[in-house]
Amino acid sequence: MSVAQRVPVPGVVLPVSGLFVAVAGWWTLTVALALPPFLLPSPAAVAARLAGNPDLYLTNARTTLQKIVVGGAVGVTVGFTLALVVWAVPLLERAIYPYLVAARVLPKIAVAPIFLIYFGVGFETAVFFVALIVFFPVVVGTAAGLDRAPDTHLDLLRSVDAGPVRTFLAVRLPHALPDVFAGLKQSVTLAVVGAVVAEWILSNDGLGSLILVASENVQVDVMLAALAVLLPLGLLLYGGVALCYRAVAWQGVG
Amino acid sequence: MIDVEDLSVSYGDLQALDGVSVDVADGEFVTVVGPSGCGKTTLLRTIGGLESPTAGRVRVDGDPPEAAQADARLGFVFQDHTLLPWKTALENVTFLRRMAGKDPDAAGARDLLATTGLDGFEDARPAELSGGMKQRVAIARAIHLGADVLLMDEPFGELDEITRDEMGVEILRLWRENRKTVLFVTHSVPEAVFLGDRCLVVAGDDAPGRIVGEYDIDLPRPRDESVFGSEAFGRQVSRVRGALHDGR
Repeated sequence: MSVAQRVPVPGVVLPVSGLFVAVAGWWTLTVALALPPFLLPSPAAVAARLAGNPDLYLTNARTTLQKIVVGGAVGVTVGFTLALVVWAVPLLERAIYPYLVAARVLPKIAVAPIFLIYFGVGFETAVFFVALIVFFPVVVGTAAGLDRAPDTHLDLLRSVDAGPVRTFLAVRLPHALPDVFAGLKQSVTLAVVGAVVAEWILSNDGLGSLILVASENVQVDVMLAALAVLLPLGLLLYGGVALCYRAVAWQGVG
Repeated sequence: MIDVEDLSVSYGDLQALDGVSVDVADGEFVTVVGPSGCGKTTLLRTIGGLESPTAGRVRVDGDPPEAAQADARLGFVFQDHTLLPWKTALENVTFLRRMAGKDPDAAGARDLLATTGLDGFEDARPAELSGGMKQRVAIARAIHLGADVLLMDEPFGELDEITRDEMGVEILRLWRENRKTVLFVTHSVPEAVFLGDRCLVVAGDDAPGRIVGEYDIDLPRPRDESVFGSEAFGRQVSRVRGALHDGR
C-alpha cells in the first residue's frame, strides 16, 4: 500500500503540494544560480508581469477563449453531424472514412499556411483552423459509440416495434455517450493547441500571439505569464467537459 | 393464441428449424426444452418477430408477429436481463411501455415490483441488484407491458440453482395472477417439467431443429418447491429426458 492510500488526505492536497514544491524549486534555482531573467525569470518576476498589466493578459485570454469556444462548437457540430451521416449510411462510411483518416494523419499545422493564402489573417480563419483540428475525434468517437448498443437491447426495442427515433434516443445515444465524451475530451485539448497555433500563424491577437511576440523580444517572463493564464484556461475547459459527462452519463436520454 | 405451422428458418446455408408446428392455447404455459444450438431460441425469436420464417407461418392471436409487436402484445424476457444500466429498477419496468408508446403507469410498476419482492429497490440501478433481482425486474417489465403473450428465452439460465427454483415458483405465481400465455425456452428438463402445462422437446444439434416429443405435464397446480421431491415429478422428468436422448 502506498503512502497516499494510507494517509487520509483530501484529493487535492497532494497535487497542490506538488505544485508548490515545483514553484519553490524553480524559485530556488533562479536565486541559487543567479540566472539572468532573460534565461529564466523567477516566479515572482512572472507574477509581477501578470499583476503589472492584468488587462493585457485577460484581453488576450478572452480572444483565445473565443477562438476555442467558437471553433470548438463549429468543429463539434460538424463532427457530430458527419458521424451521424456516416453511421446512418454505411455506403457513405466506406466512401469517406479513408479520407477522414487521411485528414487525421495530415499535420494540420502544415495546412495552416494554405489557409493564410485563401482566407487571410483573422478571427474566422483561426476559428476554421480550430474547427478542423477539433472535429476528427468527435467523428470517430461518435461513430464508434453509436454501434456500442448491445444487440439484446436492440432486440428488446424491436419486440415492441419502438421505431428508429425512440431506439436512437433511448438506447443508442446513451450507449454512445462514453465514446462521444472520450472524443470531446481529446477535442477540447486539441482546441487549445489549435487556437494557439492559429494565433501564431493565422491571426495576430490572443495569448498565442502574445507568446510569439514576447519570444521575438526574448521576454521569457511575458511568455511564462501568458502560459500561466493559458494553462488554467485549458484545465477549466477540460474539467467542464468532464463535469458535463458526469452529469449526463447516468441520466440517459428519452 | 400462438399458432406456428410448418415453420422453417435458415440463416444462409444453416438451417435452424425444419417443419416445426406449435399450437399454444390462450392462458397456457408451454415449455420448450432442448440442448444448446437445437434451434429452440430461434423458434421463440421467430414467434416474437425477431427472426423471419424461411417457410411456414407464424400467427399470434391471428396476426403476424409484426402486428403483435406494434400493439405491444408480445413480452420478451431474455437470458440476458437487458436492463438499461443508467435507469433505476422502476424506470426499467416502465421503459418498455414508454417505448411502445403507452402510458408508463409508474404506480402500477411500483405495485408490480412490490409483489415480486423488490419493495424498497425501486430506485436501485441494475448494478446494485443481484442476478435474480435483475431478472425479476426484467420479468416485471414484460408483465407491465401488458402483453398477453410472454416469450421467455432461458430467463434463469445465468442464475444459480437455488435462485432458479425460487424464480420458477415466482413465475408460476405471476402467470396465475396475470393470466398470460407463456412460451418458455430452457435447457433444463426439471425446469421445463416443473413450469409447463405442456413440454415440447426439440432436438437437432447437428441437423435442423425439429420437435421430437410433446408431453402433457399432469402435475397438480399450484405447484411449489415440494413438487421437486415428488415421485410423479421424477417420472415426468425421466420421460422428457428419455425423449431428449432418443432424439439425438
